[in-house]
Amino acid sequence: MRFRRPVIAVTAVGMLALAACGGSGEPADDNGRAKGVDAEKLADTGTGMDAEREGPVKIDGATEGGTVTVLSYAGLNSMDPTEAYYQSTLSILSGLVTRSLTQFAYDEESGEMTLVPDLATDLGTPNEDYTEWEFTIRDGVKWENGDEVTAEDVRYGILRSFDRASFLEGANYSNAYFLDGDEYKGPYKSGKDYAGVEVDGDTLTLKMARPFPDMPYWGSFPAMGPIPEGEDEPEEYRLHPWSTGPYMFEDYNPEKSLTLVRNPHWDPNTDPSRTQYPEQYVFDFQTDSTKIDQILLKDQGEAQTTMTYDNVLAANFRTFQDEHADRLVLGGSPLTTYWAPDYRKVTDKRVRQALAWAYPYRDAALAAGYVEGVTRIWGTNLLPPGMPGRTEYNPLPGHEPGSTDTAKARELLEEADAVGYEIKWLFQNDDPNTVKATDIVVRSLEEAGFEASPVATTIANFSTDREDPDNDDINVRSGGWLSDWPSGGSWFPPVFQSTDLEEEGLGSNYAVFSEPEVDQRIEEISMLPIEEQPAAWNELDEFIATEYFPLFVLGYGGVAMAHGSKIEGFEVDTAAGMPTWKGIWVEQ
Amino acid sequence: MSTTADLEGLASRDAVGQVIAGRSPTRIALRRLRSDKVAVVSSGTVLLLVVLALLAPLITSVLGIHATTTDPDAPLPSEVLSYDGFPAVGPPYYPFTWEHPLGLAPQTGVDNLARLLYGLRTSLAVATAATVLSTLIGVSVGLVAGFARGWLDRLISFCIDLFLSFPFILGALALAPIVVSRFSTDLEALARAQVLALVAVLVVFGWMGLARLIRGQVFSLREREFVQAAHVLGLPTRHILFKELLPNLVAPIVVAVSLTLPAYVAAEAGLSYLGIGLTGVPSLGQTINDAVPSFEKYPLYLWAPVVTVMVLVLALNLLGDAVRDAFDPRTRR
Repeated sequence: MRFRRPVIAVTAVGMLALAACGGSGEPADDNGRAKGVDAEKLADTGTGMDAEREGPVKIDGATEGGTVTVLSYAGLNSMDPTEAYYQSTLSILSGLVTRSLTQFAYDEESGEMTLVPDLATDLGTPNEDYTEWEFTIRDGVKWENGDEVTAEDVRYGILRSFDRASFLEGANYSNAYFLDGDEYKGPYKSGKDYAGVEVDGDTLTLKMARPFPDMPYWGSFPAMGPIPEGEDEPEEYRLHPWSTGPYMFEDYNPEKSLTLVRNPHWDPNTDPSRTQYPEQYVFDFQTDSTKIDQILLKDQGEAQTTMTYDNVLAANFRTFQDEHADRLVLGGSPLTTYWAPDYRKVTDKRVRQALAWAYPYRDAALAAGYVEGVTRIWGTNLLPPGMPGRTEYNPLPGHEPGSTDTAKARELLEEADAVGYEIKWLFQNDDPNTVKATDIVVRSLEEAGFEASPVATTIANFSTDREDPDNDDINVRSGGWLSDWPSGGSWFPPVFQSTDLEEEGLGSNYAVFSEPEVDQRIEEISMLPIEEQPAAWNELDEFIATEYFPLFVLGYGGVAMAHGSKIEGFEVDTAAGMPTWKGIWVEQ
Repeated sequence: MSTTADLEGLASRDAVGQVIAGRSPTRIALRRLRSDKVAVVSSGTVLLLVVLALLAPLITSVLGIHATTTDPDAPLPSEVLSYDGFPAVGPPYYPFTWEHPLGLAPQTGVDNLARLLYGLRTSLAVATAATVLSTLIGVSVGLVAGFARGWLDRLISFCIDLFLSFPFILGALALAPIVVSRFSTDLEALARAQVLALVAVLVVFGWMGLARLIRGQVFSLREREFVQAAHVLGLPTRHILFKELLPNLVAPIVVAVSLTLPAYVAAEAGLSYLGIGLTGVPSLGQTINDAVPSFEKYPLYLWAPVVTVMVLVLALNLLGDAVRDAFDPRTRR
């Protein structure tokens, strides 16, 4: 899935940074390190599944009522369930507003997320080779206007998820796996005649073009939920998606504010994970980060029932940790940030390796405002810690993750006869944090014998400039990826599979990496039985890094969110690096 | 009448017997300035700050401090900062150290004193350049408009009104991204372009006041006898403008300059604070912007540049006031 906002992909403020495993050879920090997040569990959305979970959910001691104020510095992307593919939109919609086939529930004991049924009565029944899935839709689920949600509504919602033209931001798993997914273009263009989704009474049968063992995970996306046919004009529906969950839209001003009030037609008995304790949620998307931190630190009046899903600023982290540890929520998020040299341009593997040696991991992270060990964690695998079957490997022998050795980089460059090689990458000139980090990167690369040429762009233009495959101003792209679910299947196809540059651009393959061998391997692994996949993905991870070294990891993400003293039940949803909305209540 | 008076020519004695010498208005003004305590103190302050700014490279190299992280000798952030970006030496968490009298900047670990000195340099350079340019433009336009009469005066006045009505901040906001995208590939050119663009913005929106003032002055001067006489003698317009009118406008120009300079210093800091000024070079406004988020924990980081801007602007303003008083025969102190 994508970062909260596309624009902040590499800036510090909005992003989840990486956490540090105290590397060796670093100057001792007499403060001690931040009591960080559990680095081992970052991406552990929990491979746990519980097909039996039933509602209603009762939280011991939780009180009804109250208004939860949610502050953020940035507005939301499209709130159309079919299009929601950012951390914030996904988590707010599926946590509070819309229901889909399955959902994630927070498990208090393990601190992980467990996949449980939602609209479906279980997690779906596949056939032998995972090419057909059957879901039975629950009775008694109602729209916010009181009408019954039918399997036909769910079918219509799923049909919508094929429409890449109307829903540009949406995820394309339906197109990638479903029967004729590449040809069917959704109900607006291709009509409702589609053989891949069949309804028989309460039963929904989904047919795949190729095995899709991860379907229950894809089922947790709002895109795999019901949409009221005839009321779903995309331009308008994104401003008021119909609720099936405990809260519904009352008032939404994109980029400004959102008010969610209780949905009277939501029945807790039908929902295995959500609750409806607070009276309402009021989101304000226009408060700057400094102010959010101050409000939460002071914790006066309304601030006591206020929370944020933005990371606290590095400048305030220590105060939160020392004085308000109970209101600081640390956790993981399945995020890997990396530098991807353009595979077509930086063709010498030794140059790419030299770059990885020369990159000033710690210095750049500090300059960009990350907190080591909390919002930035060092590592080498593309798959972040906690992914099933992950085993650490090191594609650069002798390189301690997070450390920099410009002398070693120079050696490699000399060996490749590429001293003075020009490295060109984009940075947002109007983001002070990025500018600071860029200065440091330039210095380190030059020291290693590269010619460093950062290319200035603006926050607004960054994504467009980066995603243009023909951008000749740059030969390295900085990027990041968050897993959609704990499987390599949500990592390798988007990050490493060749794309048709003419037709679809480079997508999320920022390295413009293209090796037929890897493409084929990705296809093969996604056909494997589900139990064999984790090991195979990790093998592939190591194989790509050692054989091709197309990109190097800057670090993994973690989150440091905060809330007022009267907010209870705020935990980290490690699947998204967002709050677990489903269990929040206000102390009365 | 005594003979001494004749012997001394133009000089004469007043009732008390002091010699009264014939002096030009500028000399009178300078004399008044010298006896004005506020003027002396404020010009001393300005001079000190200017010297500090000019000697910034020398001072920083003597103290062994660095204003940017790009300097190969500057310490790397990881060498001087704790895990959360606050300095691992000096304030706010550790005792004062002479190595970094104003502490280190969070996140980057550059020395605050070095940054302050170079920021001062930028501020003064930008403000001076903008003042000189806007004065040149303002004076010439004002002279021409005031002297031209007729359609040319109306046209120029219309232009002045047009520029006056255009919102300054909006113009600056619009220009910043254009400059960035135009020079995006060459950072050194970008840094230069940003400085030039900033000066240009300040000048484009800053020359009108002076132009109006000069135009008004010229209106009254051009009816005076010596100008009429010059006309009658058939002197070229250029001569009348620059040799007859301009010397009589020195006083208002000096006053305007002395009040424009502090306004530009403040404007530069303000624009950089808003992120539409300079990014490539140290600037006081930028430092202030940086310091706001950590103010609670690290007030010194914010106070140093704020106080510097305040002292500089205050000193320049007081000096400007004193200059105006000194040139204005109607004020008595």
